[in-house]
Parts: sequence; C-alpha cells; structure tokens
Amino acid sequence: MDKRVIGIVVTLVSWAIGVIYLLPFLWMIGTSFKPIGEWGLPSLIPESPTLRNYLEVLITGGIYGVRGHFPPIVRYLFNSIVVSLSVAILTSLLGSLTAYGILRYRAGGTFFANWILSLRMIPPVVILYPLVVLTKVLGLYNSLGGLVFVYPVITLPIVTWFMIGAFKSVPRETEEAAMLDGCTPFQVFIMIALPQASIGLATSAIFAFLFSWSEFLIPLLLAPSESAMPLTAFAGYFSNQYGILWGPLSAAAVIISLPVIVVAIGIQKYLVRGLTLGFIR
Amino acid sequence: MVPVNRGLQFIIPAVIYLTILVIYPTVYLYYMIFNSLNPLFDVTPRFTGLQNIYTLAQDPDAAYSIMAMLLLTGITVPLQLALGSLLAILFTSPHLRGRLLLRSIMLIPLSIPAVIVGLNWKMIFFTYGPLNTFLSTVGLEPQPWLSAPFGNTFNTFFVLAVLDIWQWTPFVTLAVAAGIESIPPYIQEAAALDGASRLQVIRHIVFPLSKTVIIIVLLFRLIDSLKIFDIIYMLTFGGPGNLTTTLPFYIYKVGFTLTAAKADIGYASLLAVILLLISTFLVLLVLTRVLNVRKVVWE
Repeated sequence: MDKRVIGIVVTLVSWAIGVIYLLPFLWMIGTSFKPIGEWGLPSLIPESPTLRNYLEVLITGGIYGVRGHFPPIVRYLFNSIVVSLSVAILTSLLGSLTAYGILRYRAGGTFFANWILSLRMIPPVVILYPLVVLTKVLGLYNSLGGLVFVYPVITLPIVTWFMIGAFKSVPRETEEAAMLDGCTPFQVFIMIALPQASIGLATSAIFAFLFSWSEFLIPLLLAPSESAMPLTAFAGYFSNQYGILWGPLSAAAVIISLPVIVVAIGIQKYLVRGLTLGFIR
Repeated sequence: MVPVNRGLQFIIPAVIYLTILVIYPTVYLYYMIFNSLNPLFDVTPRFTGLQNIYTLAQDPDAAYSIMAMLLLTGITVPLQLALGSLLAILFTSPHLRGRLLLRSIMLIPLSIPAVIVGLNWKMIFFTYGPLNTFLSTVGLEPQPWLSAPFGNTFNTFFVLAVLDIWQWTPFVTLAVAAGIESIPPYIQEAAALDGASRLQVIRHIVFPLSKTVIIIVLLFRLIDSLKIFDIIYMLTFGGPGNLTTTLPFYIYKVGFTLTAAKADIGYASLLAVILLLISTFLVLLVLTRVLNVRKVVWE
C-alpha cells in the first residue's frame, strides 16, 4: 500500500479517537459558560455565554429556589490546596528517606520493600472505618491535619518506589567518596544523593500532589464539614444532593480539573513511570 | 559492604508512621469482624462472635456484589489491554501527525479526578441530558442510560463498564507506547531492511519485547479495577436496584450509609477483609510470576 495512504488512515483513526477523549471535557467547559436554559443541550459552544456560573461558584454562591443552593467553593478550594501541598512535601521527604534506605542499605530487606509496594494494593474503603476511629482518637477527625495524616497511605508507596528508581540513577562513587571524607550516611543522603535526585524528588512530589488532589472517598468520610472538606468531596456530595445545577457544577469541575491537566501535561515524560511506580520507564 | 543497621535510620520514620497508619487499622479491622456496630444506634462495638459470618452466608447481596466486581474487572481489564495496545501501535506509528498533542489529550481522563470524570458523564448520560437530546435530534431512541436494569438494550452495568474502559485505556496506551519506544530502533530497522513488513515487525519483535510492560500494566489495572468506587458513587450510587453495587461499593453502603438492609460496621469489616483477600490473591497470582522485587531494586 502507498505510504501516504497509510499515513492518512493512521492519522485519521488516531484523531477520531482523540476527539472521543476531548469531547466530554470540552462539553463541560462549554456548559460552565452556559446560562440556565442551555445546560442540558448537546452544543459545545453556548448561545449566550455568561460568566455567572463562575461568579456564583467562586464568590457569591447560588440560590436556585426548589432546585437547591450552594455556597461559594473558595473554602473547599483552599482545603484542597493546603492538604495536597502538605501531603506532597511530607510524603516526598519521608518517601525519599525510605527509598534511600531500601536501595543503598537494603534496610528492612526484601520483605519491607515488598510490603511498601503491597500498600498500593489496599482499596481505601477497606480501612476506612478504622481510619475514622484512629483520627477521632488522635483528635484529627474532620480537620485538615487529619487528611494530611491519612493521605500518605495512598501516596507514600508511590513516592517511595518512584524514588527508588530516581536514586538508582545517582552514581554511587560520589557517595562513597563523601563517606571516605568522613560524612555520616545521613549527611551523604542530604548533601550528595538528594540534590542529584532533585528532578525525581520534584516529580514524586507532583505525583503525591495529583493523587491527593483527586482523592474522594477518604475525605468524604473523614472530613464531612466545610472546615476540612476538599473540592472533590464537595463536588461529589453536592452533585448527588442538587444534581441539576449543571452550570455551577461544571464551573466547579473545570476549576478542579484545569490545574491538574496542566501539571500532568507538564510531567508527561514521567507520567507512565509514576503511575507504574517506576516499573515502566 | 555497609552493615545493614546503618540503613535503619532511613526507614524507621516510615516504619513508625505506617505502623500507626496501616497496621493499627488492619488489626482493628480484624477485631471488628467479631463485633456489631450499627452506625445509627450504637456508640461502642458489641461482641457478637461469629454472627457476621452467619449473616454473610445468608446474604445474597454480598454474593452478587462479589460477582459484579469480578464481572466488571473481567470485562474491562482485558478490553483495556487489547484496545490500549492497539492504540499504542497506532500512536507510535511514524506516519502519525500531531502525536504530541494527541498524547496530551489522552492524559485528560488520567489526570482529572475520577469524581469529575463521573460528574462529567453523569451529566452526559442524564435522561434529559445532551446525549439523549442529540439522539432524538438524529431520530434515534433516547435511553435511560443510568437507570436501565438488565434486559434493556443498554443496561447500566455495561454503560459503567464502557466508561471505565474509556477512562483507563489511555493509561495502557501510554505505558505500552513507552515500552515500544524503549525498544532500540535499530532492531526494528534491521528487520525492515531484511524485508519484514510493519505487521511482521510488530508481531515478531515489538510484541515479544513488550511482554513485561504489558504484564506490569495488567497488574496495575487489576489493582485499580478492584478499587473502582468514585464513578459508581457519582453515576449510579449502586443502582438501579443493586445492579452496579460491586463489593467496594457494597462495603461503603453497609458500613457508611443506611441504604443497605444490613447496615452494620462489623459486617462491613468482614466484607472488607474478603475484598482484601480477593485482591491479594489476584495480585499475588500476577506478581509472583513476573515481578521479582529483589531483581528490580538491587540488581
């Protein structure tokens, strides 16, 4: 067959699939700019575009009579940002420490490495009730601190295994030289290994951020009120309560999604590696 | 060789942290199996011995939820692997125009929170939503996508399966594409010089060399597909009836809502242990055969 024909067919088929992936999200962006009468229509571009949905969602809140009402989401957005950033910092530090111990010193042996990996497998719903009890005992239930405390159950295995891969590409020789010069293992870790793995560290922090940002089930039960509930739980909860307020809901969804899409495209090169904990590079 | 105990200082913080965060909850979970705790009436757990196991033996909903979970996994994961691998071949083709942009688009369902994917499709599938409006404009029959029981042309269980396939196929595609691209190009070029067609190269070179990648992808898809919760919560809340109540969602219903007939946290804990056993079994089945952690990390 002619090379050009193959090229056209491959490109057309691929882009047809690309459209299937783009369309739903484009429709939601469109809906976020639609006034109330147009919400259910399949059109991608609003006939009379409006910023009202964003205004209500971010600043004033909205009252729609019998359809329901909602507060502005600023507080929930704030909760999401604070929790995700804290978890990113906490887990990337703890995770790289652990990864370094596993890789360079075989600390804990195969069992420990395996065990950390197996945590990736636990469905959160399984340990949810014990976590509710635990956070209540520690006085962290329904608080931002509680979420920061609990999320590493999801993010720590990911970061640890990602950092094992990152430290592997750091040459051992410089570390050994520093050791001969009288540095303690911990000094070598802080001053030699970590700076050389800084790109890996930053990427793993971003992964921890992305996973925390998307978490839904844990905050749904651990942070049921405004003071700690993140944006995802808010969106889920309110769409089930007042499912028909699509304009504001779409606006909120776009606000939640756009930052993470941008971040994900930014770390595209490492995305597969991160999602597979470094097994596929 | 450095003595092992010098490395302990690096892992002790994580060990202490995870003991509180994981080991304590796990122990508590097993303790709760032998207790009963109604979320509405009880304050402290009551010891009931093996009562929960009797309840389980007589609970058809539990058996159904396990089957529904395995069916969902059994439909979606193989299809994701097949479709994803095909797309990866397409996406690594040298003839493709706009590859980078296309790959960025494929990141959308992976990067936005699953709740938002659920919200997005909930609106699209809504009875008076854009999909049905579109269908009736082009003269097709609107469907009750999210409330159709078995027997309907499109029943909700399969709508959910299609959605999960849509959401996670890009992950397989990107991972397999990364695997294909890590095969040194000269191997493929050499084969092409020897007169092998593109399909022969894929069949005899690309596929065997991507085997490990595909198995790793299978492992992660298996793990995550046994966790599916967010999109069920958003789209169907386990309904219509309990058609889409898979085991993770049934645990949530029994333990945290009053919608299940047997709302009880002790009973939910027993179901949770069963979920843990099933996923451990399935994952070990794949893991022990392919991934040797000792080899991956230290060699």
